[in-house]
Amino acid sequence: MHRSRLQNSRRDFFARTSDGLLGAALTHLLCDDYFGGTSALAAKHEPVNAAPVYNLKPKPTHHPAKATSVIQLFMNGGPSQMDLFDPKPELTRLDGKPFPGNVEEIGNSDAEDIGVMMGGRYRFARHGESGMWMADILPYTSQMADDICLINSMWTDHPNHDNALYKIHSGRLFMGYPTLGAWTVYGLGSENQDLPAYVVLNDPLGPPKNGTRNWTAGFLPPLYQGTRFRPTGSPILNLKPQYEQPSEVTESARSLLNRLDEIHRKDRPYYPELDARIESYSLAARMQLSAGEALDLSRESQHTHAMYGVGDELTDSFGRRCLLARRLVERGVRFVQIFLEEQPWDSHADLEANHRGACLRTDKPVAGLLQDLKQRGLLDSTLVIWGGEFGRTPTTQASANGFSGRDHNMQAFTSWMAGGGIKGGTSYGQTDDFGHSVVENPVSVHDFHATILHLLGLHHQELFFERSGLEERLTGFEPPRVVHEIVS
Amino acid sequence: MFLCCAVCWMKALPSLATETSPVFENDIAPILVNKCGKCHSDKVQKGSLNLSSMRGLRTGGESGESVVAESVDDSLLWIMIDGGGMPPEGQPPLSNDEQQLIRNWLKAGARSNESLEPDEKTLTQHDVLPIVLLRCTACHGARLKKGGVDLRTPALMRMGGKNGPAMIPGDPDASLMMQRIDSEACPPRDLLLKFFVKRPPASEVKILREWIAAGAPEVDIPPDVATTEPDPLVTDEDRQHWAFQPPQAASGISSLDGFILAKLQERGLTFSPEADRDALIRRTYLNLIGMPPGLTDWQKWKENPDSDWHRQLVDELLASPHYGERWGRYWLDLAGYADSEGGVSAYPVRQVAWKYRDYVIRSFNEDTPYNRFLLEQIAGDELLDHENADVVTEEMVNNLIATGFLRMGIDQTGSRTMNFVRKRIGVISDAITVLGEGLMGLTMGCARCHSHKYDPIPHRDYYRFKAILQGAFDEHDWLTFKNRTLDVDVPERRERVAAVNPPLAAEVKSLQAELKAALVASQLELLRQHYPEQSEADRTETLRALKIADNNRTLTQRNLVEKLQRADVIPDPEQPESVRQARQTVLDIEKKIAHFERQMEPPLTIRAVWDRGEPSPTYILRRGEHNKPGPLVGPGVPSVLTDGRTPFTVEPPFPDGTHRTGRRLAFASWLTQPDHPLTARVMVNRIWYHHFGTGLVKTLENFGTKGERPSHPELLDWLAVTFVERGWSIKELHRVMMNSQTYRQSSHITPERQLLDPQNRLLSRMPLRRMDAEALRDSLLAVSGRLDDRAGGPPDTISVDRDGLVSVDPTPDGRWRRSIYVQYRRTEIPSMMDTFDYPEMGPNCLSRSVSTVSPQSLMMMNNEHVHQLAAHFAKRVETLLKEDGSTDEPDRKVDMVYQLALSRWPSDLERQIGVDALKELQTVWQNRPHSALETYCHSLLNSGAFLYID
Repeated sequence: MHRSRLQNSRRDFFARTSDGLLGAALTHLLCDDYFGGTSALAAKHEPVNAAPVYNLKPKPTHHPAKATSVIQLFMNGGPSQMDLFDPKPELTRLDGKPFPGNVEEIGNSDAEDIGVMMGGRYRFARHGESGMWMADILPYTSQMADDICLINSMWTDHPNHDNALYKIHSGRLFMGYPTLGAWTVYGLGSENQDLPAYVVLNDPLGPPKNGTRNWTAGFLPPLYQGTRFRPTGSPILNLKPQYEQPSEVTESARSLLNRLDEIHRKDRPYYPELDARIESYSLAARMQLSAGEALDLSRESQHTHAMYGVGDELTDSFGRRCLLARRLVERGVRFVQIFLEEQPWDSHADLEANHRGACLRTDKPVAGLLQDLKQRGLLDSTLVIWGGEFGRTPTTQASANGFSGRDHNMQAFTSWMAGGGIKGGTSYGQTDDFGHSVVENPVSVHDFHATILHLLGLHHQELFFERSGLEERLTGFEPPRVVHEIVS
Repeated sequence: MFLCCAVCWMKALPSLATETSPVFENDIAPILVNKCGKCHSDKVQKGSLNLSSMRGLRTGGESGESVVAESVDDSLLWIMIDGGGMPPEGQPPLSNDEQQLIRNWLKAGARSNESLEPDEKTLTQHDVLPIVLLRCTACHGARLKKGGVDLRTPALMRMGGKNGPAMIPGDPDASLMMQRIDSEACPPRDLLLKFFVKRPPASEVKILREWIAAGAPEVDIPPDVATTEPDPLVTDEDRQHWAFQPPQAASGISSLDGFILAKLQERGLTFSPEADRDALIRRTYLNLIGMPPGLTDWQKWKENPDSDWHRQLVDELLASPHYGERWGRYWLDLAGYADSEGGVSAYPVRQVAWKYRDYVIRSFNEDTPYNRFLLEQIAGDELLDHENADVVTEEMVNNLIATGFLRMGIDQTGSRTMNFVRKRIGVISDAITVLGEGLMGLTMGCARCHSHKYDPIPHRDYYRFKAILQGAFDEHDWLTFKNRTLDVDVPERRERVAAVNPPLAAEVKSLQAELKAALVASQLELLRQHYPEQSEADRTETLRALKIADNNRTLTQRNLVEKLQRADVIPDPEQPESVRQARQTVLDIEKKIAHFERQMEPPLTIRAVWDRGEPSPTYILRRGEHNKPGPLVGPGVPSVLTDGRTPFTVEPPFPDGTHRTGRRLAFASWLTQPDHPLTARVMVNRIWYHHFGTGLVKTLENFGTKGERPSHPELLDWLAVTFVERGWSIKELHRVMMNSQTYRQSSHITPERQLLDPQNRLLSRMPLRRMDAEALRDSLLAVSGRLDDRAGGPPDTISVDRDGLVSVDPTPDGRWRRSIYVQYRRTEIPSMMDTFDYPEMGPNCLSRSVSTVSPQSLMMMNNEHVHQLAAHFAKRVETLLKEDGSTDEPDRKVDMVYQLALSRWPSDLERQIGVDALKELQTVWQNRPHSALETYCHSLLNSGAFLYID
């Protein structure tokens, strides 16, 4: 008896929200997380001087967008450009010889343990109609060459992982600044209000280097930070109760809370944050359902699983994350970041085997993702980014295992993009004979970010956030260059 | 970029000049005097630029580049005019004819009657010293004198060391220092990273060589400091901005209500009615001590018959030790308090930062006068000479701990590769931000690279300010993390530490060895259980691989480690019994270690800042770049806050004792002058913000021209003057603000008030406020009876689970201390604090944002810890009812829940809803009344009524 009454009252509450004044207010706030001292409603009364309202509703672009969502495949540790994408016959010729130049210029601060020149470790071939160079340890990715644009002329400002990671994600060398993903959802909001706008997919084995700093909102309001879908257990922190309780109890408790909050709210007119709070509880409930559905890979066919390498021991983990990323962008999630545990590409020792290992884990899933997006017509609107925080040196480095790997190189590295308005089959930029530094069409991290924003319909200069009277931008103070040459 | 120097520009000139082309003195100077002279003349030199003479144009402004260049488009003068940047908005613009004339003049070679021969730039010691400081003095300076050589002055260079003079004026080739630099023997390659030095580029080597070749000339240029001459960079007009004038207040005013009421009446409003007593009690408790009243306290105040009951309540709470825990926290936000260094991922924990935290809490509780509080934190080391004291006193210790204030910023210079001069300057600049924005409401950051665009803060003033810190924060003589602490304490504590700690430390040491073995055993057990087919050799190899950095492992090693990780991430309930046991052994040893560590006396170590008496010279850094030195400056405060004609006087505080410059002491004394235009205003505004939700000046950190003007200027000034008059007492300030009708207003909004005062800038009511992270967590603990209210000492540890949830470890009896006593590592903020807007300290936080996002709802609904607290709360309700001899009636339970959680009785409707809900919950819980009450309590803690303060 009582139970049904309480449930009715809960239904009443939701029924009432769909019409009338309360309905209008809630519809306005529906799906929005709310932030700030005043609110949308207050803003209606006095548009001047109202504190800004931050939410994740879709926002207009600055110019027509080529891409509406981003999947960033982050290759922690710094993949080697001269071994994977940027063949250097001259370097191979000098294999085993000393570096012909000042070793202090090689790139890392420490010149002591620098070894000799090391030629590319794998066989290169041309692929696709474009004849793009790729190494034979990327048998799957190379099949997608005509959809890919290699940027061989990337460079960055710091040879340490920490700082280079901050740089590639937030445009700054230090922690505390918003990442590309945070800026993107700050600028564009999200198409799906039942899922987080900015999702991070971690390796079940552990967090990447720098941990949560790779998806922080920095000084932007916290609702723009990446939400990590946890690889095990409940995908969002506290998404499901961490305690045992019959579902009827949960239902009862929820309707009780609604009634109490409704009374509290009604007694306090003109405090829209109270509406927002009630809504935040209902969004939490919706998220519980939506996230479960989005994360359920069993809804995918056997064929799709195979395409991503799901079920094969080596590729299963990365493949799952790639497939999940597709399901998320399909549902309107704006920005998805995929990480590997720690830094598998960081091959100071035993590069030949280590890079091969990293490719065995990622190559097939990456190609599967591109292919799947393409066949579903999603690749045109989804920008896929592949790359790490820096590249590797042409010389070897002393390690416990002799001279068998390469050190960090901030002066040149390769990243690639595909889909989302990118000119496929392009190889952009040139490095010197050793792949050591950029000699033509350099692309700085700021240029890289400005280009991504451009594809998303955002102008890097117009996307700013005011902090202590200063306009902060992802791309910093000096104007960057949008690399129009790689845009279709 | 204007790389052309005056010399090459001049050489190109004569051929370009023609008879008819304009001449500076006749054609251009009048225009510049007329249109630009207001800011760029002999007397006023904004941006250090003087446009009244050709010499001034060639000298350029603070960027140090001539404003006329070889081509028109490279001339800064034209770029500023053409881009519309100058004259600035609001000033008469240049006419088209004038612009054309200037353009033609530049095009024709910028002719002038003055001699075309530019001044030959002669190198002096001030061109050389910044280079030597950057490249040489790490080994040949204040701390180290390798080879007996100290290169900090030309005289010392000539003197040299055991191999003879380092520098022979006129003969660079024979000068040892040049020889060593040229051969790259210095700086030695293997020491570059040890001392964080980079090789001098060719341009710097050239300067050194030419200076020596020229005979190592020296000029006696005194550092640029304020003098009795009027300051050409900042005008009296600049000083007219309201916030740069000392506060003035009418006398004879006893309450702030008059100021508020006057403004309300202007809009046809008056005060809102007084809030009901329950709301006012709860508001006052949460505002002053950050927790709701206990049951008996609430009853006591509810029944107090006196008309001034609220005044009594304020007094009682101000005397509570919990007051400092609430208000000290706001100050810790301002200081940017953190228990770790930050900046890079592998950042060290600050073991004794908590001593500063306790100092702040103590100072608030003791109501240390604000001027004294500032003095101790800015210059505690220069107040008493502990190094020459016969006995170290508590006051000395206290003063040194206080200086931790300036050591709270993000500091990455402990990293193996991040300790270069550039990073050190970044740390100094954070300290300047804290001092500027936090204490003076001045955004000084812009002036690090160029003169402030909006506020009259010249580039020069930033570096004068930096010079104040130079004695303690010297980027050329930087203290490592290890040697920036002092072991200073009073004799009694020294003795206690010596007696108590050694035996405990021995226990811990042997347990740590045990722990190591137990860890290995648990890892081996994991492998044995999950990979029975694996060879024992592979298992041993796995453990060996763990010790190698992950990026130096071979593929085989990586694969082995990955196997271990895959087994390790499987949660406990799914692990075999033997693994669980092995893990339990590890936990048990950890517990034992914690047990012994808790008994240890805190170490004597103090994280302090102290002047070391030998500051390097301070040079203006052009564009803020560490290797682009400009003119030499001395210590000084922002000119706009002075009359511009008074020197900044610095005196060493202990003339016969320890050598200290006294610069920070001079700054602190200046800052705490009774008529300082900003110090008191900024602080009363901050206190106002924490009472009323919005500052009288909304921008707490910016009282400059771009900050918002105060909503009640006279009130702000009256408060500032009153604050100083009442001995800078912060508790008095609370009384002034809280014993007012303004504070006691209801938070209810009527349509009329909403219409006439939508933003509540007139204070026509008190605002409804959400609890901040600390108030919420502390209140949950207090209401559920799980609060351990022991104060102070080392912070409570945190645990991070495999999913990234950060939780606070309970004390041994299963309780938790207040949130201020939790460890705050920058990247591991407890999830509950983080979710409810605990800020990123970068470098500090002056006002927290308040978000309403669904992760908060998820945290409150689903988190196990919150749920457990609700269970404790329910138990407490039952116990209290039993003690009361009450029956088990549901309405009594509901009443008790409301009194404990919300400090009020439920309304009839709420009581009915509660009774119905308990009945229904009991049904769905299949007749478990205790579970039903738990769920009910959990819902109450989730309710808006709990989270918001009326």
